[in-house]
Amino acid sequence: MNKLRLIIAREYMSIVGRKSFIFMTLGMPLLFILICAVPVLLAYLNDKGSDTQQIAVIDETGRYAAALHSDDMYSFVALRGDTVTDAREFYDKSNGSIDAVVIIPRDVDSTGVVNIYSEGTITPALVSTLRGALTDTIEAAHLTAMGIPDIQQMIEKAHVNVDVRTIKWSEAGDEQASSTEAAMGLGLMLSLITYMFVLMYGAMIMNSVIEEKTNRIVEVVVSSCRPFQLMLGKIIGVGLVGLTQMAIWIILLAIVGTVAGGAMGLTSAPAPSPEAIAKVQDLGAMQAIMQQVMSINYVPIVLNFILYFIGGYLLYSSLFAGLGSAVDQPSDSSQFTTPVILIMIIAFYAGMACMENPSGPMAVWCSIIPFTSPVVMMIRLPFGVPIWQLLLSLGLLFGTALAITWIAARIYRRGILHYGKKASFADLFKWMK
Amino acid sequence: MAYLEINNVVKRYEGHTALAGVSMQVEQGCVYGLLGPNGAGKSTLIRIINRILAADEGTVTLGGKKMTDDDISHIGYLPEERGLYKKMKVGDHIVYLGRLKGMTKPDAVASMHWWLDRFDLKQWENKKVENLSKGMQQKVQFICTVIHRPPLLIFDEPFSGFDPVNAEQLKVEILALRDQGSTILFSTHNMASVEEVCQQITLLNHAQVVLTGSVDEVKQQHKKNIIAVQTPDTIEPNDALFTLLPTDPLRSHDTMIKLASGVEVRDAIAWLNEHYSLTGFTEVLPSMNEIFIETVNSTKNTTPQQQ
Repeated sequence: MNKLRLIIAREYMSIVGRKSFIFMTLGMPLLFILICAVPVLLAYLNDKGSDTQQIAVIDETGRYAAALHSDDMYSFVALRGDTVTDAREFYDKSNGSIDAVVIIPRDVDSTGVVNIYSEGTITPALVSTLRGALTDTIEAAHLTAMGIPDIQQMIEKAHVNVDVRTIKWSEAGDEQASSTEAAMGLGLMLSLITYMFVLMYGAMIMNSVIEEKTNRIVEVVVSSCRPFQLMLGKIIGVGLVGLTQMAIWIILLAIVGTVAGGAMGLTSAPAPSPEAIAKVQDLGAMQAIMQQVMSINYVPIVLNFILYFIGGYLLYSSLFAGLGSAVDQPSDSSQFTTPVILIMIIAFYAGMACMENPSGPMAVWCSIIPFTSPVVMMIRLPFGVPIWQLLLSLGLLFGTALAITWIAARIYRRGILHYGKKASFADLFKWMK
Repeated sequence: MAYLEINNVVKRYEGHTALAGVSMQVEQGCVYGLLGPNGAGKSTLIRIINRILAADEGTVTLGGKKMTDDDISHIGYLPEERGLYKKMKVGDHIVYLGRLKGMTKPDAVASMHWWLDRFDLKQWENKKVENLSKGMQQKVQFICTVIHRPPLLIFDEPFSGFDPVNAEQLKVEILALRDQGSTILFSTHNMASVEEVCQQITLLNHAQVVLTGSVDEVKQQHKKNIIAVQTPDTIEPNDALFTLLPTDPLRSHDTMIKLASGVEVRDAIAWLNEHYSLTGFTEVLPSMNEIFIETVNSTKNTTPQQQ
């Protein structure tokens, strides 16, 4: 036990102490923020960079031009005249100070068609601004023209958004409001965490095994401890590195969240601007989501997540350790890692597919088969899973994980001392015996 | 009872036998040479003693008791394929391997300081291994092997890759450890070093012991009854007593004679002394190198191939 602790500590320190680890741990969130921020920033610069466009409006009806309000982006100027030829003449005379001419034809009420002319580019943003403003105004005008009093209020009253709520019957007979969206989001998040963790740190274990082999330190180490201890020490040590990294990310996320939330609260405080009102409405929606999120029963989900996380990590990491022991150089490892990564990708897509039908046969089978269950079961779990399936799946997962660890240890024992000729899958089978 | 006893150890791999019933006894406090050509099974035997591999048959006893996993803390092992963690600091590395062998942290640290001092590596304690020269890394490997002061030391090709100066220092340290009571098992191809440091040897070939005994005994067994005679005269052959061997006058002024079978050294010398003016004579014993080559070649065809 003492030796195992020493090996874990060395493995942990050797990774955490590395510059690349610190870089990665701090760099990943930065990269993430950058990925999110760049499109927003670019859009902002795009808006900021262009001047206000001058749009001339010829309103043949004489009723709708007022609906077009000038703002930072577009300045609408009403223009006398009533033919396309007039518009063209005016456009040419303006020498480029007018960007486009809008003609609202006399028969717009019946056709619903408005034309816009320009030699330059007409942006989709302008088209949608015009469409929005004119549609609303013309629609309102039509309603008024019908001469029915309070028709606006009647329409608003008649308007309805159907909200489908799912309520789960538990076997005891009571009802429990549940939400598919929140459940799906949570399931997807947990499954992604498991998936990312296993892939990232599984590869890290493999590299660590190969490094010891190429260093030729491994024979000295296994003359002081059992190869199994070394392998297990690596798996646990790298696992702890992963947990450390995740903990740092969660803390960073909490700090960023608090700071950003604080900043938003301050800016919206002074005056109840339209945005602030919109935000209050958003808050209502947020509360609804929060209620949904709160309605999920977390204790079994978290408990199962931990179990599946450990089982899945043990299964895949020992597979990676065993396969890593069979190669001399990281560049040779792909022949062994490809099948493993393929299985993982299948597991991931099976999980995605199961979101559509979490109780379908594919979801059930994939959540029981040990190689896919850590990913797929996380998706199914928030929707509720029969207890026998859960027990069978967990039993199979841990049984297989221990079997794979045992087999991997046998391969590892032989593999770490195997140099020279590249090992094949046939060799691995021989070493297993 | 010998300190380390190997009894009839067999190790089979898929398709071939690496050790076909090997036995040997290593006395406490001696330097024991384990010799043999490549692929003879030396490394396999050493790994079995280190419990890295398990024997299919046979036993290994240490100090009269059958070895267990706990006994590996009594062994210091310098493998032929050896290296260090490049990114670790020298001091941490030595202490880590010492503790892995069961030392407490303060003991390991104290011992590390003592050894670094002895090898003039003190200023490198907090440097990363990758910053050391190859020679210095080899010294660190040696320190890692002996840090826990094991009663049994196993060196597999210890001198390979060492320059002559470092090899000499290593040899001095190994002999010093022997003088302090350590038993040393030594596997090598380098026959010159065997003659210098080993008292006992075992020669493996094709998974079997083909020769064993003390270096002196082995040399006596393999002597060719050749005498180097120092004389200003020119000796004529005497077929009843000896034949003359061709010599290279540029390299040696001695006359080499090979005694006929059954002839005692003193009879031949007495006869020579009567007829020529002898200034001296030496019995020529074969070098370990010659014995090695001769034995390996003579067993090459007699042992069945185990493929």
